[in-house]
Amino acid sequence: MLRYFFLSLRTQFSRGRSLFVLSVLGVALGVASVVSIQVLNDNSLAAFRGGIRAISGDADLTVVGAGPAFSDSLYPTVLGTRGVELAIPLYQVAVSLADDPETYLEVVGVDLLAPTGLPVNPTSTPGDDDGFGAVSEALSVPGWVAVTPALAEDRGWSRGDTFVVSSGSRSVRLQVGALVDFQSYAPLASRYLAVMDISQAQALLGRPGKLQQIDVHLAEGVNPEDVRETLQDELGPMVRVTTPSSRTDDAANLLSAFRLNLTALSMISLFVGMFLIFSSTQASLVRRRREIGLLRSLGATRLQVLAWLIGEVAWLGLIGVAVGIPIGLFAATQNVEVVSATLTNIYLLSAIDSLRIPAQTYLLAAFVGIGGAVLGALFPAWDSTRKDPRALLSAFSVHEGTQGVAGRLALAGGILIGLALLATFFFRESWRYFGFAVGLVLLIALPMMTPVLVQAVSRITPAAGFNFSLAIRNLSARLQTTSISIASLAIAVSMMIGVTLLISSFRSTLATWVDDTIRADIYITTESWVRGGEDAFLTEDVLATLRGHGDVAAIETLRRLSLEIEGRPIWVGGVSLTLPDSLYSFPMREGNARAALESIRASDSCLISEPLSRKTKLGVGDSLQVRTPRGLERYPIVGVTYDYSSDGGTALVSEATMSRLFGEGPVQNVALFLAPETDPDEVIGELRAALPGVPLSYRSNRHIREEVFRIFDQTFAITRLLQGMALLVAACGISLTLLVVARERVAELALYRSLGALRRQIFGLFVGEGLGLALLGLVLGTVGGFALAGILVYIINPAFFGWTIRPDGSWAEWAQQCLTILAVAVLASLYPALKASRVPAQELTREDL
Amino acid sequence: MKTFEFERDNRSGQRREIPHAFRPDLDRRNWRLVAVAFLLGIVAHVTTHPGLSETSPTPVSANGWKTAQPDFSWQFPRDHWAHDGYRTEWWYFTGHLESDSGRRFGYQFTVFKVGLVPGGDIDPSVQASEWHASGLWMGHASISDLDNGTHRFCEVLHREIPLLSGFGAYPDPRLAWARGPAGTADLWTLDWNGEAFDFQMADEGKGVRFDLKTRPRKPLVWQGPNGYSRKGSEPDAASLYYSFTRLETQGTLEIDGETFKVHGQSWMDKEFGSNQLTSGQVGWDWFSLQLDDGTELMLYSLRRADGTVDFARGTHIDADGTPTYLDSDDWSFQARREWKSPTSDIRYPLDWQIRLGSDRTLTVRPQRDNQENHALRTGQLSYWEGAVEVEENGKRVGVGYVELTGYGEGNRPPI
Repeated sequence: MLRYFFLSLRTQFSRGRSLFVLSVLGVALGVASVVSIQVLNDNSLAAFRGGIRAISGDADLTVVGAGPAFSDSLYPTVLGTRGVELAIPLYQVAVSLADDPETYLEVVGVDLLAPTGLPVNPTSTPGDDDGFGAVSEALSVPGWVAVTPALAEDRGWSRGDTFVVSSGSRSVRLQVGALVDFQSYAPLASRYLAVMDISQAQALLGRPGKLQQIDVHLAEGVNPEDVRETLQDELGPMVRVTTPSSRTDDAANLLSAFRLNLTALSMISLFVGMFLIFSSTQASLVRRRREIGLLRSLGATRLQVLAWLIGEVAWLGLIGVAVGIPIGLFAATQNVEVVSATLTNIYLLSAIDSLRIPAQTYLLAAFVGIGGAVLGALFPAWDSTRKDPRALLSAFSVHEGTQGVAGRLALAGGILIGLALLATFFFRESWRYFGFAVGLVLLIALPMMTPVLVQAVSRITPAAGFNFSLAIRNLSARLQTTSISIASLAIAVSMMIGVTLLISSFRSTLATWVDDTIRADIYITTESWVRGGEDAFLTEDVLATLRGHGDVAAIETLRRLSLEIEGRPIWVGGVSLTLPDSLYSFPMREGNARAALESIRASDSCLISEPLSRKTKLGVGDSLQVRTPRGLERYPIVGVTYDYSSDGGTALVSEATMSRLFGEGPVQNVALFLAPETDPDEVIGELRAALPGVPLSYRSNRHIREEVFRIFDQTFAITRLLQGMALLVAACGISLTLLVVARERVAELALYRSLGALRRQIFGLFVGEGLGLALLGLVLGTVGGFALAGILVYIINPAFFGWTIRPDGSWAEWAQQCLTILAVAVLASLYPALKASRVPAQELTREDL
Repeated sequence: MKTFEFERDNRSGQRREIPHAFRPDLDRRNWRLVAVAFLLGIVAHVTTHPGLSETSPTPVSANGWKTAQPDFSWQFPRDHWAHDGYRTEWWYFTGHLESDSGRRFGYQFTVFKVGLVPGGDIDPSVQASEWHASGLWMGHASISDLDNGTHRFCEVLHREIPLLSGFGAYPDPRLAWARGPAGTADLWTLDWNGEAFDFQMADEGKGVRFDLKTRPRKPLVWQGPNGYSRKGSEPDAASLYYSFTRLETQGTLEIDGETFKVHGQSWMDKEFGSNQLTSGQVGWDWFSLQLDDGTELMLYSLRRADGTVDFARGTHIDADGTPTYLDSDDWSFQARREWKSPTSDIRYPLDWQIRLGSDRTLTVRPQRDNQENHALRTGQLSYWEGAVEVEENGKRVGVGYVELTGYGEGNRPPI
């Protein structure tokens, strides 16, 4: 049997090359999408873990600010706490390169004279007497910084070269003091990691007197939890003493929605891939039913035949995996920038610098590819081995089963959907992942409806000669094969339409919000603002210049702090609120805008954004618990605003309140309102001239809108990739189905030919069938797509992101997508149609008839 | 002559291979490399730095540090305090203590002021940060429990910044202070008590703490004419060096939670300079011997890499405190055996025969062999610093302390 297995495997490949290639491609694409997403997901967390590890090794505890950076006067307390063996003070600041503002250097300031894990490698600095010279210069040469050799090579730097970076409105010249391969000490460290002495980091790039983190190593035998508690008690509420694993958990938690979203999308393409395998197995069984019948008649048991078929599919899966992994990795590398930008823009986490492929990715790929293939083949294989061997030896018995159960299948699908709807009322709020469960049910139920739909459509299509109507009617003759193909296309279409609807709804909601809230004429921030956080501030002299411009009628400042609220880091904005009421616009979800404005002006109350409200279940009348230097304090919430700037949530207080809570601090953003009839671009030009060399980014009202949508599109770019993959898989499905149909109907086609049908008529018939498949898939898919969009907007989005999204779709876009799909279907039909049209009339002589 | 730190032959440009046991492993211990890095960096910096302002009253070497001068104008008590502009300055206490119950201890307590940037010229733009530093505060302390046979070494190393450590200014009695080693809340301090010094240290991790007060029984003595102590044939190879050779000492000592009231006798050296070890020298053997007849001997010998003596001097102090300066012709010494450290694998010569003049021979024996200090915080520098007994003609005639530096690879003090 084993010998037969390998022999048949070879024959399979040589006889049905196109079938084989398509099946492998189906598995490969499914595997590829899972692999690419998994790699990106893993790396998004790894990026968070990597950076500091290069400097302080595996710390046992980490002291981080619960809100803003904390005072460095806490450091001696940490150092002096019993059980501490090493306490490494860190000041981190992201600065952007002056000649390439999109590129950020993650500068970590560390006490270079303290015992850190810092691998300053003396031998890497040729030309130095003993190789070590750099470290005392690190104290005295202004701007001394150690960078990675990889970055130095990228930028053409060598030791002693200088370059300019910006931190907030400050431009600082740094000098490459040493080349240190941090990645050799912590493989996940970024090439953009740079290290300087803490005094220089504080004074030149950040703020003197502050620390962002203290990494603590404990003496042997000390219980970390005991020391953690002691430290937390002694250091007070403004810092959080955590274990590294709990910090990673926090980041994982923060990213959960993002990662789940990606995983769900990749699962859909795997699902579609499985359909493809299902249909390709079906195809191969159809072609070989006589072979199976013969084997069975010769005494092979059902189990032997089943094992033979499953084994064959497992091989196919393995090849699919082998092909899919490189495609997936390639897709991941192509999209790393996009994901990285999302991580840094939206989640305030470290960027992914280079991809690491965890070993389990390969295991997952093998599991998904081979498992999926076997799972897809299990039913058809089992089905054919059950059959009476005699039935297998004759034609036209394959689809009887489906014809009979179509109604029952549809009923079961209907019941599933009904149950899902019913469950929506009960579990929608209580189970976070409910939306995904409903989505899955939908994707299972949709295919179940397919046979009935095909039957119904062919029933109502009148017989009208050798044309498109025949093509449609033909679809129901091969019900099982065509249903599977239509179902997989429908799923791909559902996904496309669902996600497109989500994106377009979201985009239009965002547009309305932007119109409501972006009121100022010019927005000014610094080039390092995106990543620089609190340190990317505007200095007083810059503010004075802005205020002093003749055309500036009013100025509004925003001070941002990252604070921990209800256990999650969120941006809290302190707004000066000195403008007339009419210039403020808070689109309110809860509360009255005017009253709320009065309240936050007059008291220590706050506005919170909708996602924060949903996540914390807090609303007007509740209060927000904030860690301040005075301890935990509660501030009344006077309004909940629509806010799409962060899914982590934001809160807004007056600048005065912020100063009371956290002390005076610099502002990071400024909005300028110009005198009437003033050209913002002209003012921007004048401000640039007045502040030469100051690394500010000026955005006019129009420009900032574009910026918002640029970030939006960037965030959803990865989704488009997955949509494309699913469509590709579905197109493979159409090709495959038509190839199967052509093969099954060799005799029938030969009959047509002998009755005088022209090749082009048969070609047309097959393209028509492809088009029919696509049309039915589109119909089902559109229904599914709307349902999926509903699930995404109304169930998944509130559970994970917490935005109100007003449904909005563009018919033009839908029509465009439909046309694309039809075009793809026609393209996918061409090859099978060509093959079918080449069936010679002589095939009629075969006994199949 | 005393010191710490580790060895690199900077001037020859040759790096010495660090023996494997000392090589930092590639994870969290890599800070050692850093320590080595910056300490060597000092020297590299020295060779490249343009030099200090020409208005400095004390001559400044080409590398920017002040150098020891024979006509240094001493002003006491001011000169017990720290001096800026020199690469290295230390206050070095060693002594023998006995508890009320008769348990005997040897101890060492040293504060080092280490200059990193000549002239301390940190750019004004960086001075906004309180972490800006041009020097280090380093403390070494050890306790040899002579009856129980244990030796514990403790160290602190901080940048010299108000948050972590500092050196006081006359007349503030606090000469120096630093936060303790990680895990220890208490400070290490050194104070002037009007006559001599009080000092305390603690190390929770090592289970050691002491708090000692001293009173001079003999006056301050110059180690060299006007305190100018030469270390080699080169003109600037010298330090400014004085001692209190007999300090009556009392206080408390705590080991593993057990507190002892102790009393005894200490020796204090104060030394500062910028070039105490010349390029051909790798380390030194140093003896401070307190003899029962009321006299003291201070002897040092600077070695070349091949183990031969490059430069040796000494001081004999009369019972009334009058010093007699000894030349290399006046004394010589020979070790009679070697001891191999189980920690560092370094072989140290022990059991010395010291010949004084033509008619006197002293035998100096360690009170226990293992009194090696292994300074993790300072690039794993190892040196031997231990309590000894002195015999003459088979009779015990005194006690003392011996320091052996620059043994083994990678242990040359870069001073």
